[in-house]
Amino acid sequence: MDQNRIADAVAIDIGGTFTDVTLLDRRTGRVWNAKTPSTPDDPSDGFMAGIEQALALAGLAPDALGYVFHGTTVATNLILEGKGAKAALLTTEGFRHVLEIGRHDIPRKANMYSWVKPKRPVPPERIYEIAGRLDPDGGEVTPLDEAAVRAAAAAVAAEGVEAVAICFLHAYADPRHERRAREILQESLPHIPVSLSSEVLPVFREYERSMATILNVYVMPKVSTYVGRLEGRLAERRIPGRLLLMKSNGGVTGADTIRTQPVQTALSGPAAGVMGAVFAGELAGFRNLITIDIGGTSADICLVKDGEPGMTNEGRIGDWPLQVPMIDINTIGAGGGSIARVSEAGALTVGPDSAGAVPGPACYGRGGTEPTATDANLALGRLTPALLDGRMALDAAAAKRAVAERVARPLGLTPAEAARGILAILDSNMVGAIRVVSVERGHDPRDYVLLPFGGAGPLHGASLARLLGIKTMLVPPAPGVLSALGLLVSSLKAEFARTALQRPPHYDLAAMGRIFAELQEQAAQWLEHEGVPEGGCAIRWQASLRYLHQGFELTVPWAGEAATAEAAEATIAAFHRLHERLYTFSQEDTPVEIVTLRVSATGTLPRPAIREWPRGGAAADAVIGRQEADLDGTLRSCPVYDRARLGAGAKLRGPAIIRQLDTTTLLFPGQIAEVERYGSLVVVEA
Amino acid sequence: MNDSTALSPKAAVDPVTLEIVKGALRAAQAETEALLERTAMSDVIREKKDFFTAFFDPAGALVSGTPIPIFGHILPPILERYPPETMRPGDIYWYNDCYGSAGAVSHLNDQVFVAPVFAEGKLSGFAHSWAHFTDIGGMQPGSMSPKATDIFQEGLMVPPVRLYREGVLNDELFRIFARNTRFPDKLRGDTRALTAAVRLGERRLCELFARFGRAVILAAFEMLNRQTEAAVRSKLRALFPPGTHRFADVIESDGLGNGPFTIRIAMEVGGNHIAFDAMETDDAAPGPINWLVNPAVPRMIFGLFFLGDDRSLLVNEGAMRAIDEVRLRPGSLLQPRFPAPLGQRGLTLVRVVNMCSGVMNAATGGKANAGGSSYAIWSLRNADPAAAPFFMNDGVAVGFGARPYGDGHDAVYFVAQENNPAEYLAQLYPVRLLRYAIRCDSGGPGRWRGGCGVVREIEWLGEDALLATRLDGTKAPPWGVAGGKAGRPGRILLNPGRADERVLAPLGDGVRVRKGDILRIETTGGGGFGHPFDREAERVRQDVLAGFVSPAEARGEYGVVLSDDGRTIDREATRRRRARRFPTKLFHRGRYRDAMS
Repeated sequence: MDQNRIADAVAIDIGGTFTDVTLLDRRTGRVWNAKTPSTPDDPSDGFMAGIEQALALAGLAPDALGYVFHGTTVATNLILEGKGAKAALLTTEGFRHVLEIGRHDIPRKANMYSWVKPKRPVPPERIYEIAGRLDPDGGEVTPLDEAAVRAAAAAVAAEGVEAVAICFLHAYADPRHERRAREILQESLPHIPVSLSSEVLPVFREYERSMATILNVYVMPKVSTYVGRLEGRLAERRIPGRLLLMKSNGGVTGADTIRTQPVQTALSGPAAGVMGAVFAGELAGFRNLITIDIGGTSADICLVKDGEPGMTNEGRIGDWPLQVPMIDINTIGAGGGSIARVSEAGALTVGPDSAGAVPGPACYGRGGTEPTATDANLALGRLTPALLDGRMALDAAAAKRAVAERVARPLGLTPAEAARGILAILDSNMVGAIRVVSVERGHDPRDYVLLPFGGAGPLHGASLARLLGIKTMLVPPAPGVLSALGLLVSSLKAEFARTALQRPPHYDLAAMGRIFAELQEQAAQWLEHEGVPEGGCAIRWQASLRYLHQGFELTVPWAGEAATAEAAEATIAAFHRLHERLYTFSQEDTPVEIVTLRVSATGTLPRPAIREWPRGGAAADAVIGRQEADLDGTLRSCPVYDRARLGAGAKLRGPAIIRQLDTTTLLFPGQIAEVERYGSLVVVEA
Repeated sequence: MNDSTALSPKAAVDPVTLEIVKGALRAAQAETEALLERTAMSDVIREKKDFFTAFFDPAGALVSGTPIPIFGHILPPILERYPPETMRPGDIYWYNDCYGSAGAVSHLNDQVFVAPVFAEGKLSGFAHSWAHFTDIGGMQPGSMSPKATDIFQEGLMVPPVRLYREGVLNDELFRIFARNTRFPDKLRGDTRALTAAVRLGERRLCELFARFGRAVILAAFEMLNRQTEAAVRSKLRALFPPGTHRFADVIESDGLGNGPFTIRIAMEVGGNHIAFDAMETDDAAPGPINWLVNPAVPRMIFGLFFLGDDRSLLVNEGAMRAIDEVRLRPGSLLQPRFPAPLGQRGLTLVRVVNMCSGVMNAATGGKANAGGSSYAIWSLRNADPAAAPFFMNDGVAVGFGARPYGDGHDAVYFVAQENNPAEYLAQLYPVRLLRYAIRCDSGGPGRWRGGCGVVREIEWLGEDALLATRLDGTKAPPWGVAGGKAGRPGRILLNPGRADERVLAPLGDGVRVRKGDILRIETTGGGGFGHPFDREAERVRQDVLAGFVSPAEARGEYGVVLSDDGRTIDREATRRRRARRFPTKLFHRGRYRDAMS
C-alpha cells in the first residue's frame, strides 16, 4: 500500500494539560517530541499545533506523514462527566425501565443506608417500547411492531434527540428486528446516528448490552464530529497519512470504525500507555510485565504476559458495565495528588480524594493546604525542589508544614514518620491493586518485571517492587510520553463475538462452524476495509466457556480453526486449566457449556526502526548535585543524576535520585541501575 | 515491611500499619468474594449473589465483615464443639444449624464454612464464608416453603462438623450431604467454590500474619474494633436522647393463614447503658416467618446505620458494641422455640431493620429513614413429583424508604444481590419475561419520595408448575415519616385481565401454574419523608415523565399541576393547590399518626 512508502508517522496524545506529539522517522528510528498546551474547547487546535511543531522540529513537510496515530479521551470524559448526547433507546415492549432497574442491586461495598443511585445516561422519557419478540434461539415469537417504530421516530424527531440506540431482547441471537427498526428510523431520520446492540455487543444479558449500546450512541455525535474535524484539518494541511485511533483493546482502527463504534475508545488513553509499556519492555527483552501508570489522581495497572496485555470482556467505566473487549486495566485513586487525612476516629487515609492540578499539592503554592503524596515525597527529600527541568519550583517548607500539621500532630508522630507513613499507605494501596491483576488472576508478581511510568510512577516503582518481591524494574527513557510510543508501534485490532449457547453433551458443531465462519467473514471484511497488507493479517478464534450452572464465562483460544469435536475437546481442556489457575480448582467431572464464540482480527503494520540510545561516559559524569533524602528512616546524602546525560551502558547504585523533564526516578540503597541499549533503566537488587 | 516503610514503634500498632492492615483485610475479602461469585453454580449465588465472606480473631470476634445485618456470632457454636486446641491447619468447619447456633445462621439454606488460621504455630484467627445453597433437601425443591410447619421440612440440618481435617475431605460426611439434595451437581460445585473461598481467605490472612507478625496483627484487630466502636457509640449517643423510645409494626401473615403478628421494640437509653428490648413481641408463628435473632444482629443494624459511608472504618465487632444489652423473649416471633420453621425469616428480618429506623424516628421526631419493604421472592418448581426436578427462584426488587436527605432507593432487592436477566431466564427455564418496569405511584409521597417497587410479569411456557410467593407490605405497607406518606401495598396476580384473573396470597405456596398462564407481581414501595408539598415541582415533573409518578398523583398527593402532556408545570395552579397544605403527624400508614405502636 502507498502509505508504506511514506516513512514518517506522528502520534498525538491529548492530556488534560498538555498535548504530547511524537514524530517518528520509521526508516531511521529518529524521534522528535513536541509539547503544546491542550485546547479543551476544540482539541483539534492543540492536535494540529502539536503536529506543526513536530514537523518544524524535524524539518519535514506535511506530505511526509504516512500515519497519524491518536489516543483520545473524548469518549471517556463524556461518559465520566455525564456530558454525552441527548440520546434515545428503543427497547422491547415491557422494558422501558431496563436502565433504571439495572441489576436491582445496592453495590456490594456500599452502605445500604447512605448509597445514592447514579443517574442513568438516558432518562426513561426517552426510552421507547416496541412490541416484537424473539426467543433465545432467534426464532420470532411476535413480529416487530413497525407502527410503534414509526411513532418512536416521530417522537425522537420532536424531542430533538441526537442519536438512537436499539436493543431488543435476544437480538444477540438474531439481529433482524433491530435491523428493520433501524431501516424505519432512517427513512424519516436519515441524519440521526443509530446503533444496534447486535452490532455493538451481541452477547446475552439485556441490561449490560443495553448500556453498551446506549453508551455508544451517547458519545457518538461528539466523537464523530471530533474525528471528522481532525480528518478535515489533516486534509487541509495536505497530510496524506491515515488517521488511526487507539481503542480500549490496545489496537488502532480507522476513523470509519470509530464513527460507528465510538464506545470502543472509552479506555483509549490508558490502553495507549500500556501498549507503549509493552513495546519498551520488548526492546529491553522483557515480555512479562506489570505496568503501573501513576499520575496525579489515579494509577492504572495492567499485567502483560508473553507480550500480550490481559484482556477482559467485563470492564466498567464509571458507574456502568461496559462489556466490550478491553485491556484489563485496574484503576485506583492513588497518585501524586492523593490527599492524606486523619479521620475523627484517628484513621489515616491517603486518597482517593486528590488535590488535582488546582489547588494541587501544598508544595505547588497554588492554595493547597492538605498534604499529598507529592508533599510527603518532597518533605523527605525524595523529590528535587524543582520540576520540569527547573521550570517549576516546589515549596518544601509548605509541604513539611502540611504534613506536620495535618498528619503528624493529630497522630503523635514525628513529621518524618508521618511523611513515610503517607507514602507507605499509598504504596500499600497500589500493591493491593497490583495484586488484583496478578495474584488474583493466578500470576505471581515475582515472575514479572515492574514497569512504572507516568509522572509519578518512577518515584514509587522502587518501593513497590520491594513490597511485591519483584526483582527487576524497568524505567523507560521517557516515562511521561509512553502513550505516544504505544501509538506509534500499534497494530490494528478488532473483535467479533456472538452468544450461541451450546449445552453438553450435544454441541451443535455445524451451527458453531457457521457462526465462526460468519464472524471470520466479518473480521476479514474489516481487515480489508482497513487496508491491512496481506502479510500482516492474523485472525484468531476464541470461545467463552463455563461449567454447567456457572454464571461467568472464561475466554480461551479455540484450538485450531475448525469447529470439530477434537477442537472443542481441546478447547474445553484449556478451559479447565485456566479455571484451575484463576480459581485454584477445576472440575473435570462437570459438563462445560460453550456460551460465546469470538473471532479477533489483528493487522500488523510494518514495524518502524528504533534507534539505540547513545552510549555515554561514566554515570558519575551525570551527577548534577546532591541532597539530603530520607529513604529508610535516616537522612543521607544522595546524588542527583540528570537522566539525559546517562548514556547506554551507564551503571549506578542507589541511593539515587534521577531527574528528567517528565519524571523523577528514585533508587533505594541496595538497588543497582543500568541503562540498556534503547535507553531504559534496568533496576535490580544488588 | 521493608526498610523504606519502616516506622519507629510507638503504639502497639502505629496508625500507618493499622491502615495497611485494614486495606489488606478489605482486599482479601473482596478477592474471596469474587472467587466465590465466579465459580459457584447455584443461581442463588452466582446471579443473585447471596453470599458473603469475613475474618475473625482467634476468640471469634468479627475483624472484617460485610455491610449486611443478617449474621450473628459465627464462631461460638464451632468452638464449643471443637475447642481451639483440637484445631489444625487445613481444617474446615461447617454448619447450617440455626437452633444449634443461637441464630448465628438464620435459615438452613445458608451454609457456613470456617477455616482456622495459624501463625507462629498458634491459632490466630478464622476465615469464613457463607452462601445460600439452592437445595439441601426438605419438603420441596428449594428446600423452603411458606407452608412449612417445622424446621425438619426445611432441609438437612448440619450441626458444627469438620468437613476437612488437615486438608483431607471427610468424604463420608459429604456424601450424606450430597445425597440429600435434588441438585447434586450444583451442590458439589457450590461446595467446591465455598471451600476454595475460605482456603483463599486463610492463605491471605496467613500472609498478613507473616508480614507483620502475630502480635502486631492481633493488636491491630483490637484497635480496628475500638476505632469502629468509638465512632458508632458516639453517633448513637448523639442521636438518642435519654428515655425509652418505642416502635411497633406487624408481619401480615405466616403463610398458614395466621396473623398479623406484632413486633414491638424499645430502646432504653440511660446514663451509661443502652438496651434494645423486644420482650413484648408476639408469640412465635406456626408458619416459617419466625426469625431466630442472634443478639449480635440488632447490634449490627444500628452499627451499620451509624457507620454510614465512612470508608475509613471496618464493619467489625466494634460496630456491635454500641448497644450494651439485647433483650429477647424466648417463645416470641424473634426467639422461637425448636423446631419452629424459619425459612421465610427474611420478611421479619428486613421488617426489624426498618423498625430500627422507626425507633430512631420516634426518638428524634423524624430524623431517620422512612420504612421500606422486604425483598420479594417467587419461585416455580415441577408439579409432577415424578418429573425431573427444576427450581426457578426469582428475587424481585422493592422500594426502600426515603431518607432525610434523599429519595428512597427505587427497585432494589438488598445489598449486592442481583436480578435474573430476562435473557438468562429464557435460556434456562420455560419462561418468558413479558414486563419488568418501575411500578408507577408505588413510592410513598414525600419531600423525599419513597423508592418505587417494580412490576414483573412472566408467561409460563412449561409443563404444570407450582408457585411459591413471598411479598411484604400488602396490607401494612412501609410507613412514611415527618409528613411523608406510606408506600403503596404490593400484590400478586394470576392471569391479570383475563376471565380467570385472581389475586394470590402474598405469602403462599402450591398455586398450580399451567402453560400459557401469566403471573404478575407488583411490589411494594417505600415510605416517603417530609411533606409532599415541599418536594420541588420540577422533581415531581421529572418523576411523571419517567413513569415513576402519575399526573393524577402529582396533582393529588404533591399538589403539582402539570399541562395535559405532562411536560410543563402549571405554576399558578400548583401554587393554589399547595396553599391548602394538609396537616401531618410524625408517622403515616393509611392515615397520619403520632406513634407506631
